[in-house]
Formats: sequence, structure tokens, C-alpha cells
Amino acid sequence: MSYALQTLWHERQRYASGVLAVTFSAVLIALQCGLLLGLFKITSIPVDNTTADLWVGSQEVPSVDLGKPIPESYISRVAGTPGVDKVELYVAHFANFTKPAGGTELCYLLGSSLNDDAAGAPVVLTREQRDALTMPNAIIVDESDVKRLGLDNPEGKAKINGKAVTLVGTVRGLKSLAAPWVLCSTSTARHLLGFLMPAEHVTYLLARCESPTRAKEVAAELQSQYGSEMGAYTSEEFSLRSRKYWLFRTKAGIAIGYAALLGLFVGAVITAQTLYSATAANAKEFAILLALGVPRWRISLMVLGQSFWVGVIGIAMAYPVCLGLKYAAKQVGADVDLRWEVLLGAAVVTIGMALISGVFALRSVRQIEPMTLLR
Amino acid sequence: MTPWAGSSSTPSLKGVNLVRTFGDGTARRAALQKVSMDLFPGQIVLLMGPSGSGKSTLLAILSGLLEPDTGQVLADDDGVLRDVWQMNGKEREHYRRKHTGFIFQGYNLFPALTARQQLEIVLKWGEGVSSGDARRRADDMLDKLGLAKNKHKKPAQLSGGEKQRVAIGRALVKNPSFMFADEPTSALDWENGQKVIELLRDAAHQRGASVLCVSHDHRILPFVDVYYHLDDGHLERRALPVE
Repeated sequence: MSYALQTLWHERQRYASGVLAVTFSAVLIALQCGLLLGLFKITSIPVDNTTADLWVGSQEVPSVDLGKPIPESYISRVAGTPGVDKVELYVAHFANFTKPAGGTELCYLLGSSLNDDAAGAPVVLTREQRDALTMPNAIIVDESDVKRLGLDNPEGKAKINGKAVTLVGTVRGLKSLAAPWVLCSTSTARHLLGFLMPAEHVTYLLARCESPTRAKEVAAELQSQYGSEMGAYTSEEFSLRSRKYWLFRTKAGIAIGYAALLGLFVGAVITAQTLYSATAANAKEFAILLALGVPRWRISLMVLGQSFWVGVIGIAMAYPVCLGLKYAAKQVGADVDLRWEVLLGAAVVTIGMALISGVFALRSVRQIEPMTLLR
Repeated sequence: MTPWAGSSSTPSLKGVNLVRTFGDGTARRAALQKVSMDLFPGQIVLLMGPSGSGKSTLLAILSGLLEPDTGQVLADDDGVLRDVWQMNGKEREHYRRKHTGFIFQGYNLFPALTARQQLEIVLKWGEGVSSGDARRRADDMLDKLGLAKNKHKKPAQLSGGEKQRVAIGRALVKNPSFMFADEPTSALDWENGQKVIELLRDAAHQRGASVLCVSHDHRILPFVDVYYHLDDGHLERRALPVE
């Protein structure tokens, strides 16, 4: 065991505040980022809950809910590209939802094919629900949106763009952020959208490819060939594209960034102060080493070693806390996306912070003088 | 151990006309006034004097820790006498690493480290000795100091005398030419104090080190070779009491 780690363990009470500060910073960063990613997952729900390999929409479409109508005829371009197994139509657009008891909400219609192997039908739909949705003007919403859309009231009739609709079921896992997602068939979507969706136009063409690798190649090929008229993306690309768009558009990342920065700053100050006072407490022992000719940089290295270990232990304590809080958040319906990039990023940033704190604490090493040992 | 059989006719460390003052203006006070002192290999020298007489100042100047206002400190560096205070910082650090050992009244041992590690750290960090060699040399030294059974103990598990012996081991493990001890027995009872002074005497007589010991303790006198008295910045060599 290194002298730095051994000292840290022996004097753990002294170093505890520094370790806790690192833990606090790491939890704050990981959780903020995880919450943000979890939150913006909602923006790509239509992509993430379907089985399409490829999404073809309007040129440079920034997000799944911002697709403009494209001619249905583009289907031949997609279907004619080697590697594509099947293509289907997808009609999606914002619409005005009138609650049964009055009042309106903006909703987002998602009209897809409904057969068993439909690429655009959300995977959470049961066989019965798919059948029910084939009825004219039948819709399904997420159970979390039922109250918001006033569908818990059996009296009255809900309308979309002024046309009566019937709720035939609810699903879980398609929670919305702003406008509730409303699932229906392509024909219902066309009917409800009316002039908002020009004749022989769709919002997206969804394709299944021979393999995910092949989907990448097909997307690249379509993009290079027809990039001036339409946009082609693999489902992973389109999902990420949608999330990134809303993340930067809403500037939520900046707000989260500030909060994380504040956490880092507080953590850095406490860690630096802990290391400073811990080093000052061992000043006489270090002074002896200096008197015996041990170079000052060796002592500085030990302080930096301690700051590194403070960071590592802080991170090790932060991870279980993050996972616990993720579980707690899930119980109240909030998704914290703690993907490995988030956990690794939080570790790198906070260990970096601990090391910088160590550098600040080095001023206590500079103050050590062997002369102070003489009376 | 075979007693050291070297010559002691040539000083290994010479302090020449050392002057050191503290304070400014009317508060200016001379701690040392043209003090000269020679240390010889194989000798243990006792420096006594009242509190504030400049004993620790002289020890600090001779050991390369405190710069004198004027005067020279000539130290034997591999057969050549070099002025310690004409060296640059790095050279002086190297000189201290190579030649000097210190013992202070406080033991100043790292609370987290075992007795063995207190010695190892000096060798590894100071001389860049490998872990294996450092361990072997540390164990040898602790065996000689009668601390073989305590090598895995931390300071909190050791008595005052044992802690001071570990501190001596830390100073001796690199086999220094000069040993500087500032009040090494003042925190110990006489039984342990006597053991400590015997170890310092052995460092001189057995290893050939030049040992300078600053103390108030008259009981040390029978164990030393030379006795100096410093008072008000003036140094005087005094005869040792006849046994």
C-alpha cells in the first residue's frame, strides 16, 4: 500500500470531509447528467419504441417531432436501395386536442402501420390494441397523459382537430414532455390531420434492413444520393439527433452545467481545505524529511497521491449512491439515464477536481521549513 | 560492531567565525558572535548553555538549515572541504541527504507508518533506494537498536523511548557523516535518555560519525568526548569533569 493511501486510511476522520465533498460532487454531476439524458429520452420515444432500422424524413430534420411532409413516392428510392428489406409509411404531426370537458392541449399524432411486424408501431402495443386502433378515429395514449387530456371523464367526446376520436386503450412507457404522444393508424392520422398533411405525402418512411450495419450503409447511401431532398438516418442516429436538438435548443444543458459547476466548486474548496489542513498537521514529520535531504517534490507527490486517492474513494462511494437515487427516482416515474459515459465522465471530472485541489494544497508543503523543528 | 578506526586529527566540519543576528533596529540581537567550532570524525560533542544562548542557532547553521550572516561552514564532502553556505539550494539539499542526520526533541514520526516504514521512507525518497534494499537496511538498523520486535508497530503502539530510538534509526539508517541532535533526551526519563545518548555515542565511536548534541542535561557529560558551553553568543570549550 502506498504511504499516501496508508496515511489516508489511518487518518480517515481527518480526510472524511474531503472524500464526502468528492462524493457529493460526483453524485451531483452524474445525477444531473443522468436526469437530463433521461428527460430528453422522451423526445426520441417514437424512435426508441419502434423496430425500424432506418428513418427517412425531410431534409436535415432536426428531431422526430419536427419532420415536414415528404412525397410518398420517395418510397421507391428507399425500397430500391440494396440492403433494404421492407419500407412502410409513417404519418406524424402536431394536432389540436380538445378535451371532452372542454379546453385544449397540443398533442403529437403518431400514425403507423399496425400489423404484427410493423416497423413503426410502438412495441408496447398488444395485438388487441393494434386491432382496436384499426377502427376509424381510434387512439391510444400513455396512461400518464389520460388525466392531462381529460380522458378520465366518461362524459363528452374528445376531438382532434375538431374531429371526434375514441380512446381504445392506454399504454405505459410513452410518457410525453410537452405535447402528449397520441397513437393511431396511418389512415386515422391522415383523416385527423386533413390539410396539414398534403395528399400522397407522409412524414417518414420507415425501413427494416438486412442488419444494423447494413442500415448504416443504406442511410449513408441515401443521404449522399438524395441529401438535398430528404434525410436518412439509422434509428440510433435519429434518436440521438432528436435528443441533442432539444438539449441544445432548450439550453437545459447550460442550466445543468452551471449546477454541476457549482457542485464541483464547492467540492474543490472543501477537498483543497481538507488536504491543506491534513498536510499542515503532518508538517513536522515532513520537515524532518526535508532536513534529512528528501526533496520537497517527493512530499508534494505524496500530497497529490493523497488527493488522487481522495478522488478515487469519493467516486467509489458516489456510485452506489447514484444507483440508489436512480432507483428512488424510478419509483416516482423519473428516468435517470446513468449510462457508462455519464459514470466515467463524472469520475474523470471529480478525480481531476481532487487533483487540482491537491495542487492548491501544495502551498502548505511550500510553507514547511526544517528550522521550525529547532527550539 | 568493529569500532571505527579512522583518524580524528582532521576536522570533518569546521564552523569559522560564525555570526548570526536576529531582529531589526533596537530589537537586533546577536545570537552568535564570531563563533568557531570544529567537529571531528568519531567524536561526540556536547553543546550546553542557558536557554536563548544560541545553541540551536549554531546547530542549525552547522547542519545547513540556517544561513549565517557571516562566517563559513566547511564540511568534508568526499575528502574535499566545501563551504556549505556557498552551495546552491540543490547542492545543499544533496549534501544534507548524503551526509547529515537529525534528531529532535519531538520524535516527529508519521502516525500512519510502522517503525520500519519510518526508516524506509528516508532511503526510498531520499536516496532512491529500491524497496527491497530499503527494507533490508531498515530491518538491520532496527535490529541494532533493539527494535526488531517493534518493526511493525506504529508510533501510537510504542513507548517514548522506543519512539526516540526509531527517530535515531531514521537519522542513522543512511549512515550519515554528521549527526545533529537537539535536546534528544529532554522528553525521556533517564533510563531511556541514557540509552539514547549511548546510541549517539556508538554512532560516533563505532561508525566514525561526527556527533553534535545540544542539551541542558548534565547527566550526558560522562558520555561525550568534547564539551562546549555557549553563553550570550560566545563559545567556550570546557574540560570534561573527571570521573
